[in-house]
Amino acid sequence: MSAPTRRSAPARRRSGRAIEIWLIALLVALVATVQIRSQAEVERSLVGTDTTTLAFLIDDLHRANDALSAETADLAQRKTSLQSGGSSAADQELAAEANRLRAIEGLVPVHGPGLVMVVDASGLQALDLQDALNNLAAAGAEAIGVNDHRVAVGVPILQTTSGVTIDGAAVTPPWTISVIGDANRLSIAADLMTQQMRADRRVRTATYRVQADVAIQSVITARPYVYANGS
Amino acid sequence: MSRNRIVGILVVAAVALATGFLVAGQVKSQLLTPSNQLARYQALVRSVQDLEKTNQGSRAKIASLRAEIDALEGAAAQQSATTRALKGQVADLRAHAGLTAIHGPGVEVDLGNGIPAAQQDGQLGYLINYQDVQDVVNFLFAHGAEGVSVNGRRITPLSAFSGSAGQVVIDQGPPLTSPIKVRSVGDRNRMAAALDDASALPDLRDREIRFQIVLTIIGSPDLKLPAYDSSLQVPHVSTN
Repeated sequence: MSAPTRRSAPARRRSGRAIEIWLIALLVALVATVQIRSQAEVERSLVGTDTTTLAFLIDDLHRANDALSAETADLAQRKTSLQSGGSSAADQELAAEANRLRAIEGLVPVHGPGLVMVVDASGLQALDLQDALNNLAAAGAEAIGVNDHRVAVGVPILQTTSGVTIDGAAVTPPWTISVIGDANRLSIAADLMTQQMRADRRVRTATYRVQADVAIQSVITARPYVYANGS
Repeated sequence: MSRNRIVGILVVAAVALATGFLVAGQVKSQLLTPSNQLARYQALVRSVQDLEKTNQGSRAKIASLRAEIDALEGAAAQQSATTRALKGQVADLRAHAGLTAIHGPGVEVDLGNGIPAAQQDGQLGYLINYQDVQDVVNFLFAHGAEGVSVNGRRITPLSAFSGSAGQVVIDQGPPLTSPIKVRSVGDRNRMAAALDDASALPDLRDREIRFQIVLTIIGSPDLKLPAYDSSLQVPHVSTN
């Protein structure tokens, strides 16, 4: 039986050098891969959404979640009241709910803190009014009236040959927009809106004033469902 | 010097050269910056995802609480005629406020992002934005809709639309992106006829040609709209 063969010194050196070369090659490949993947991930994830947009989105979601928490707390309190109070508690809760929903749907006159915006212009379209009302709604408007016409989502604002109509009635300038809601949030939106409007050549004046109590007397006529059914 | 040794040195030199180029490229293009950008971006994305998860949980909780309250009110209405009458009034008001699910004949308007136009860098007209959705919702209400939902989010009298390019935020919901499905229950024939008019929704139709955005209208004999599942508080409004 022969003794095990031992590798010679030059062979060991060649083997060591090969390992060094492979290690360097591996390192290079690793750096290149990390680099390429890192850049690809940045590019892929940034598509369509920049960090500023994300920051605004986070702010909006915080505000939304706060509102949802408040609603959850309110509903939980109503549930507890119903559980403990019998039909008299139910009557109270239902009467309060009916009152609140009539205000939300614009079926009753309302008042509260807010602001009044006046826009005098020629050539403004129904879309301009819809955009203005949506901006105010996004700023927390809880009730809106335009030139003594109550508006809410679902009330038709249309462009006709004779101008803008709200629920079929012509609304000629100047538009006086009465809004109830958080006056601080509303005035931030109103500031931006009036600035933008003043830059529009069609607009002669655009102003607003914050009021401790804005009254909206106009109401929306309730329409029963004809086509929709409850599930 | 052996041939193998020369080859080895050449290989090491080539690898060193490649490494040098890579390192130089790395420094030149400030490779650390994208890494930091990525970390910051990922942190922001994680925040958005966490907040959206909380949002979803809260909306599910609200829907569940509203169902429990409805059941408790129903039980109380069994015991009193007054409660029963009040319950009937509130049920009607809740339906019109979007707080209960409805179904019936209607129309679905599908909106989808188009293709960016060549040589028009920076133009975002190919993206569906919140104003498109707002226009479609207003249009449907003006032409016979009794109730509308957008990607499963019911529209209420106080609904507001906002967002940035390509994102649509409705009320307290998370942002929606294309494709957007606007469903409406109401006078199906009137809505379909109005939507078929070539002059309807002029901005969307113009971008349908310029950017190939998707605008599809489908009539249906029975569409279902979910109940609104977010906050409908009016703390600043008084009625007396």
